[in-house]
Amino acid sequence: MLRCFPKSMRLGGGLNIALALAIAMSFTLPSSNTLADEAGPVEAIKVDAKKAALGKRLFFDKRLSGDSSQSCATCHIPEKGFSDGLALSKAYPGSEGFRNTPTLINTALKASWFHDGRLGTNLNDVTRESLTEDYVMNMDMRIMQERIKQDPVYIQMFKDAGWSEPSNGSVRNAIPEYLKTLTSRGSPFDKGTMSAAAKRGSKVFQANNCASCHSGNRFTDDKPHNTAVPDNPDIWSDPLRHHTYVAFGMFMGIENIFNIRRDVGADVRSHKVDGTDVGKFMTPTLRELKYTAPYMHNGTIKTLADVVAFYNNGGGNDANKDKAMKPLGMSVADQADLVAYLESLSGDPLTSAEHVWKDKIPANYTAIADWLNTPN
Amino acid sequence: MTTFKTKTTTIGLAIGVAMATLAGPVRADINAPLAALGPPPIPSDNKQTPEKIELGKMLFFDTRLSGDASVACSTCHEPKQGWGFSGDISRGYPGTVHWRNSQTIVNSAYYGKLFWAGSAKSLEAQAPSAAKGGVAGNLEDDIGTARLAFIPEYRKRFKAVFGDEYPRLNNAWRAIASFERSMVQRDTPFDKYMNGDKTALSEEAVRGKGLFEGKANCIECHNGALFSDQKFYNLGVPRAERWLDDGLAQITFRFENYAKGVTQKMYREVKDDAGYYFRTKLDQDKGKFRTPSLRYTLYTAPYMHNGTFFDLQEVVEFYNAGGGENEFSASKTKLIKPLGLSEGEIADLVAFLESLSGDEIKVDTPKLPPYAALPNPVK
Repeated sequence: MLRCFPKSMRLGGGLNIALALAIAMSFTLPSSNTLADEAGPVEAIKVDAKKAALGKRLFFDKRLSGDSSQSCATCHIPEKGFSDGLALSKAYPGSEGFRNTPTLINTALKASWFHDGRLGTNLNDVTRESLTEDYVMNMDMRIMQERIKQDPVYIQMFKDAGWSEPSNGSVRNAIPEYLKTLTSRGSPFDKGTMSAAAKRGSKVFQANNCASCHSGNRFTDDKPHNTAVPDNPDIWSDPLRHHTYVAFGMFMGIENIFNIRRDVGADVRSHKVDGTDVGKFMTPTLRELKYTAPYMHNGTIKTLADVVAFYNNGGGNDANKDKAMKPLGMSVADQADLVAYLESLSGDPLTSAEHVWKDKIPANYTAIADWLNTPN
Repeated sequence: MTTFKTKTTTIGLAIGVAMATLAGPVRADINAPLAALGPPPIPSDNKQTPEKIELGKMLFFDTRLSGDASVACSTCHEPKQGWGFSGDISRGYPGTVHWRNSQTIVNSAYYGKLFWAGSAKSLEAQAPSAAKGGVAGNLEDDIGTARLAFIPEYRKRFKAVFGDEYPRLNNAWRAIASFERSMVQRDTPFDKYMNGDKTALSEEAVRGKGLFEGKANCIECHNGALFSDQKFYNLGVPRAERWLDDGLAQITFRFENYAKGVTQKMYREVKDDAGYYFRTKLDQDKGKFRTPSLRYTLYTAPYMHNGTFFDLQEVVEFYNAGGGENEFSASKTKLIKPLGLSEGEIADLVAFLESLSGDEIKVDTPKLPPYAALPNPVK
């Protein structure tokens, strides 16, 4: 059995080989319940290569949105660490987004998804939510299914993946299978090639207890916290953004939605009577930050230096701010070292054909020849 | 009066159905006579007011009541295309094509059921069904409601018309229905003729009327003031050619069957639009569509549920040949048979059909109010 690779093989130059082997042969790497203070590389996930390849094409196909104008990759851009470089994301045409697009690298390992953590089940549900939500892809999945069935390339790929024909259910399995391939790798932190500044920053990270929330291999506790990130006023001044938030809020059951002028965040998970979950957002991963500026759930902080300064000041102002948020008193040098450490957590860009569908995807559909005699 | 007439017709229909059920396929010859068009029935829970009609007109032209804010009701019901659509099949939401011909909204107020297969029971129900359909408007309730709230002019008007603090989407459909109910035409040459102006119809048209009520027996289904019995028939209209060679149309064809809920076997095998079957799920209703009104047809080409015929002459010739054949010919109505009309008679019939349309109905396209940020919250 190839289940147990020696640990050294997972590091440095051996990593790619190990990964390639793991993917090609559908074997998993061993998991090691890493504690917060002994973070290590994010482990690659066992995938079905054919399902993942299918999911990759689907991810980059604009025909998976209602008016065929955007794909998953429109907002999750590989060159930007599968985020989009905007403070607030784009949305489906006719709307504008009200939150920052999160990276999808390592997303398969999360405990819950979206900045408010409102989905805590699995990527199948996340895929469904993103495809069908009216301000995201606005796709009627029944139409999606029939669009896919019109593309001979997909028909073959679904067969190869072990599904008799394209269906909504198989799309919701294939895209998550692809997302599982988006694993951080090759960062200086993982390879043991951190700069002196980054090494000093690692100590600053520990000394200031950043790992109380940013723990584990992905540097997140997967929990919601209120750090009192300032509101992004662009949400409320732009009717296209604000109305999108209102639509979201009505769907989520946020009370008094027309009079709210703040993003309630993880409150939608609990709707606590005392309102103490208002303003909490899921701890984001610290991996791939090099590619994913601007930062925070609403993109209000442009650089890592500013993020570090924000924490050094003890976060922002809010009645429900997490008690752990206190001024840190880091020196200017400490802050610079911490930034160097954070940068060392970013790995190789996942922009090659291994992770990106490079072939042209048609925008239109060929007719089925001899339609009358071909079963639907 | 018209309301009363409509009720009578409904009762008549009910009795007819009851008789058919009890006594088998005996047909009582109760065709409603042709008549001038009276005022449309107005539902007692959605009265017409000028303010509501004006609001409905604005909403009818407003693209923000579609998923990507790019298509309005008026996109497929174009004023310049007889308030229908120029193509055989309606254009559909971006990235899709529809699968049926877009019907005119003119005189839609008189129908008891809307859409070709009668799937909506009122204009109030038709509007959201179209606006929210995947191959039409692809709108969701929450985004539609949210958008209206950010248009101050609509907030003001919904408040005045409906008393809404923030516009309720349901009231948008009611306003649009009111606007559509205002789009009636009662001054056609035919209406003038029936109201006593015997010069209003040409000699050809008068001869055509005789054929309509006699030899051609169009009145069997196209009867009453609306020229429709509002029942469902299969005439053997051939399938839409598009499905043979248009990938986008093939997608929609499968989607419609999938979404409307048919058996696995039927989904795999069917190659034509089963129409009224989708409402009843009875084999005998496959391929049936609601008799359309013949009013305003001068402007609404192409014709039939799938826009197969491009002028009225073609339509009359189709009937003269006894209709056609399609996949559901087992359910083809026995009422349709070769008519033996001469070329002159066909021309007379077309002349009469043309007299069922008056002037083209034009409106000024309303200026649409812009979005604006919401005022400061109420504490």
